Amino acid sequence: MTSPAKSFSRRTAAAGAASAAMMLGAGPAALAQPAGAVNFIGWSAAVDQVRAQISAFQAATGIAVNYENFPWAQYRTALVTRLVANAPIDCSWISDAWLPEFAEAGWLADISDVSALTRYNAETTAYCTQSMVYNAKQYGLAYYGDHMSFMVNTDMLARAGITTPPTTWEEVVEQSLRMKQQGVAEFPLLLSLAADTWLIEFVSALNFSFGGRFVDDAGNAVMADANRGAVRAARFLREAIHTHRILSPGAVETGEINGLRAFGSGAHAFAIVPTYRIRALNDPAQSSAAGKIRLALMPKGGPSGTHETCGWIRFWGMTPGAKADRARRERTLRFIEFFGGRDTAGNYSMQKLLLTDMGLPSCAVPLAQDPEVVQFWQRWAGGGAVVAEQSGLARKKDVISPWFGEWVETSNQAWQNICLGRAEPEAAMRAAGAKWTELKRAFR
Amino acid sequence: MTRFGYDERSAALLVFPVLAVLLVVAAFPIIYSFWVSLHDIVLTRPLRRPFVGFDNYFRIFDDARFWTAVARTTVYTLVCVVATTFLAVLVALLLNEVFPGQRLLSALLLVPWATPSVVNGLMWKWIYDPTYGLLNGLLVQVGLLERYRVWLGDPDITLLLIANAAIWKQMPLAALLMIVTMKAIPEDLYRAARVDGANIWQRFVHVTLPALRPGLMLVLVYETMISIRHFDLFLIMTQGGPGDASFTLSWLIYVETFRSLRFGTGAAMSYVLAITTFALSWAVIRFLGKRI
Repeated sequence: MTSPAKSFSRRTAAAGAASAAMMLGAGPAALAQPAGAVNFIGWSAAVDQVRAQISAFQAATGIAVNYENFPWAQYRTALVTRLVANAPIDCSWISDAWLPEFAEAGWLADISDVSALTRYNAETTAYCTQSMVYNAKQYGLAYYGDHMSFMVNTDMLARAGITTPPTTWEEVVEQSLRMKQQGVAEFPLLLSLAADTWLIEFVSALNFSFGGRFVDDAGNAVMADANRGAVRAARFLREAIHTHRILSPGAVETGEINGLRAFGSGAHAFAIVPTYRIRALNDPAQSSAAGKIRLALMPKGGPSGTHETCGWIRFWGMTPGAKADRARRERTLRFIEFFGGRDTAGNYSMQKLLLTDMGLPSCAVPLAQDPEVVQFWQRWAGGGAVVAEQSGLARKKDVISPWFGEWVETSNQAWQNICLGRAEPEAAMRAAGAKWTELKRAFR
Repeated sequence: MTRFGYDERSAALLVFPVLAVLLVVAAFPIIYSFWVSLHDIVLTRPLRRPFVGFDNYFRIFDDARFWTAVARTTVYTLVCVVATTFLAVLVALLLNEVFPGQRLLSALLLVPWATPSVVNGLMWKWIYDPTYGLLNGLLVQVGLLERYRVWLGDPDITLLLIANAAIWKQMPLAALLMIVTMKAIPEDLYRAARVDGANIWQRFVHVTLPALRPGLMLVLVYETMISIRHFDLFLIMTQGGPGDASFTLSWLIYVETFRSLRFGTGAAMSYVLAITTFALSWAVIRFLGKRI
């Protein structure tokens, strides 16, 4: 997911300063709290920032933290095996996609009755809170919430004489063909469609922008429905690759990171990218297209198109074991609040750090008015208006379910086969829909 | 009267620690994984793990993905084994001759074999990259390609490209085994063949090839066992894709076990793969063994 920030020395210094401030603010009483460790597992992202915040937390509360992290690609399996083996985990990072299966397995504690955490709902964007709720129970506090953004390379648009970014996918095709004709880019559109963990977010964003759904409100598969399903988006992808040739056939082997590099190299004019990558894309040290990448609303597709996109959230979850034990519960709640809510000084320090250092958008509403946050969006995205508008149009993945982990394998293959021209969009979506129905039935 | 003397008892005592370790690290996992394969274990549903007997085995034979994976694995294994063996014999014939730089070439031959699998996978992935890959660069520069093309993303050739990466790594060891076998062929046989008027091709067919059978058997068995279970290259280079173009049995087992977290069917698939590997190895040994 995210890569560790480079500014370790700055982080360390910040941690030291924060620790000192906390110690002064909290006084000896805080340091005299009974010692005990919080066992926290996360994926290998923002490692320096997390460590810095842990130092601040330990200084402020006297509570030790055992921090373990695993690469994102192996994280779910690593966490599940530990949970199955009853490893002493108190708190972990959870993806919204895993919430139903983790909740059904009894690995996440319901925090709906923990007012110390639920009070933050009033300051959290509704979309983020909803993403932490399953069967009317809330299972965590937000780590960050992000969405897929449509990004444009303004320099390439200007070179093609285009003054306004496209607002529909039809315009994307039109402008791309123009750029191809003028030799500005061979494949103006970039989509990362490798069969990895990001693929469902990319195709969901595209699908939502075409007004499509994978499943209806009752959880039944409608993805193969020609009018309200994912077929229109699938057809667009196939045509973009095979008819218009504005999207490289190599998209099926382009992962999110490689896509980011390719877009940053200035070889593509349009891309769907997680919003938090805007910082890296406009950073001259990391991208040769720096300063030229801007956000635009997700183009609308087809007759029922919208500017909607796919959003997701990662959150801090507590294990039932930690909740059941009073001392562990106390420690863990303080830890989660310090990271996912306000710290002991009353600031959203972690959420702010994640945004300013990594570009990870926050779910905390009050932070939007923070001068540093405003400055951040101004510096890296030319302003925060589009981010805010697109964030309001983000939908959580409609396929999140207890069988999501299994279904997504079939879905990924279906989308890749569409891109390869090896399957008709209708047939591929029917196959994905059939798998969904089979898994849903088997779950009962 | 005792059945076992002091020596036998001492020997048993000395062997026991190793036996105990083997039981724990080898026998127990084998037996336990078989036991797991008889249960419907899904890690995300920890409260239920019903005993289903051989249902998992029947289920995988009904699974279309399984037969796709069998087809892909068969093609991949055949390509790897045939190409590796053929190239190994050629390289062995070359390095069995005396010429300037022969020793250096023999040493360099081992470099691919010594390269870790993950590094090998990454290296070839970069070579095949559609935007900055060495292969595209080379082919365009020599005029064989007009423009950069997609390699691993082309489902018609993905499997062959992964096999090429595997052959590059596996061939040196096979060649080494062949060289060792060749060195054991008595020079008298070649002299006798020359006296009988045999040309170089006849000497190869009637002297070298028959004498290579022990080495060939070893290479064929080893390469079959390795290729049929290859996983790392698929993980690094294609993740079973694009589509299902490189969806082999090992990859299916990984997906079933570690992504879908269905340990029951994953274990059953592993047993099917293990039994198939043993059966193929046995067939090769039996077929070639008779001729040695």
